[in-house]
Amino acid sequence: MSEKIKILYVDDEPDNLVGFKASLRLDYHILTAVNIPQAMSCLSNHPDIKIIFCDQRMPATTGVEFFEDIRTSYPLPVRILLTAYTDVESIINAINKGNIFRYVKKPWLESDLVSAIEEAHKYYMVNSMLLIKNDELQKAYNELNKFAYSVSHDIRGPLSGILGAINIAREIDDIEEMKEMLFLMEKSLKKLDAYIISMHDYYTLQRGELKISDISFKDLLEELKPLYNVMSKTNNVAFNISVEQDEVFRSDEVPLKLIFNNLLSNAFKYQDKSRKQKSVDVTVEVKKSVATIHIKDTGIGILGSHIGEIFNLFYRANSQEVGSGFGLYNVKSALLKLNGQIEVNSVMHQGTSFKITIPSI
Amino acid sequence: MALSFIVIDDSELDCFIARKIVGHADKGLTVKTFQRGNEALDMIRKNMADYAEADMTIILLDLQMPIMNGFEFVEEFEKFAPEARKKFRIVILSSTRNSNDIFRIFTYNTVHSLMEKPLTREKLLSLMQQVGAIRVD
Repeated sequence: MSEKIKILYVDDEPDNLVGFKASLRLDYHILTAVNIPQAMSCLSNHPDIKIIFCDQRMPATTGVEFFEDIRTSYPLPVRILLTAYTDVESIINAINKGNIFRYVKKPWLESDLVSAIEEAHKYYMVNSMLLIKNDELQKAYNELNKFAYSVSHDIRGPLSGILGAINIAREIDDIEEMKEMLFLMEKSLKKLDAYIISMHDYYTLQRGELKISDISFKDLLEELKPLYNVMSKTNNVAFNISVEQDEVFRSDEVPLKLIFNNLLSNAFKYQDKSRKQKSVDVTVEVKKSVATIHIKDTGIGILGSHIGEIFNLFYRANSQEVGSGFGLYNVKSALLKLNGQIEVNSVMHQGTSFKITIPSI
Repeated sequence: MALSFIVIDDSELDCFIARKIVGHADKGLTVKTFQRGNEALDMIRKNMADYAEADMTIILLDLQMPIMNGFEFVEEFEKFAPEARKKFRIVILSSTRNSNDIFRIFTYNTVHSLMEKPLTREKLLSLMQQVGAIRVD
C-alpha cells in the first residue's frame, strides 16, 4: 500500500503515547492526543483517520465513553480500546453495544497492536466499500425508478398513438388524410426507435469497460459527417469542421462518437427555423494530450433557468423536436467515463455552444 | 349547449387522432389542438369573454409534456376565476400507469376525470354523456 494507514492514539499518559508512536511510526502514520479535546480536533483535522486507539482509564472521560460519544459523528474509524484486565465489565459492555471493534491488553505487545491494526484496517476497508456500493445501489435504484416512469410515457405513449391511429383508420376514406396520418405514425415510431437506441447507449455506457485506441479526430468526424449531410442540406444549415491534431490521442472511440452524435444531432435539430444564416461549427484541437472540442450552433438556445437541468436523465427543455431526454445525460456519462469536462453557453435565439475537454488516456 | 374541445398534447399524432375522433363523432364540434400548454392557456385567456355561459369546453390534457406538463397546466388553469372555470371540464388523457401521477390527478378539484390513451370514439361518446353534452336514449 502506497499510503500509510492513519491511526489516532488517545491516552492521558504521555509516556504511552511516545512508546506507541516509537514502535509503530515506521509502518503507520501515527497521530496522538493526550486528552479528549485534542483528540476531537485531531479527528476533525484528519477525516481520513482509519483507526482510533484509546486508553480506557483517563481522567474525566473513559475510553468507552469517548467511543460512545464519537460513534455517530465519526462513524467510519475503527475503534480499539486499550486497557488492563481489571476493566473486563466495561469492555464486555462496550463490545456488546458495538462501540468498539476490539480491545488490546495493557501493557501491550507490539505484535498484538499490529494484528489489531491489520484486522481493523480490513474491517474499515470492507465498511467503506459497502458505503460506496450502497451509494451506487441507491443511484441505480433512483435511475430505475425514473426509467420505469419514462416507460409509460416514452414507450407506451407512441404505441398508444399508433393504436389510436389504426383505430380511426377504419373511418378515413380520404387518401391524403391517410397519408398525413401515416407520416405522423412514422414520426412516432422513429421517436420510439430513437428512445430504444438511446436506452441501449445508456446501458453500454454504464456497464462497459473502456477500449482504448489511437484516435484521429479527422477520421472520426469524416465518418460521422455523412450522417448529418442530409439535415445540413435540407434545412440549409452550414456544417463546418476544423481539426488540429499533430499528436497521438488515446481514448475510447465508442463514447467519443456518442458525445459527438448527441451534440451534433441536437445542434441540427434545434436550429432556429426563421433564421437565414444557419450553421453548426465543430472545432477540435489536440494539445498537450488534451482534446478541446467546441460544438457551436445558431439554434433556438436554452433558457437560462433550464441550463442547470439539461444533463439530467429524462429532462427535456423544448418541445420543438422529438427528444428522449436521454441525449445529454448520455453525453455526461460518456464524459465521466473518459474523465472529460463539459461547459455550456447559450443565448436564447442566438445559439448554444458546448466546450468539451478530454484528456488522452 | 354548444360543445367544443381543446386538446393539449406534445405528440402530433395524438393531436391528429383527437381531431379526427371528435370530428367523426359530430361534424359540428370544434377542436383546437395545442402541443404546448402555455399556448393553450394564452388562447383561453384571450378568448375568455367569448365563451358563453351555456357553452362547455372539454380540455383533453396530456400529462407528460416538456416545458409545461399537465399538472402545471392545471395549476395555472386554477388561477382563473371560478365563473370562468365553470365553462370547462378538464379530462386527463394519458398513458400513465404511475400511481403517484394518478393520485395527484385527483388532488385537483378542477380535474373532471382520467382517460387512458388512446382516445377512441366509444370513450369520447361516454365522456360526452357524462358531462351531459348528449342524452342517452
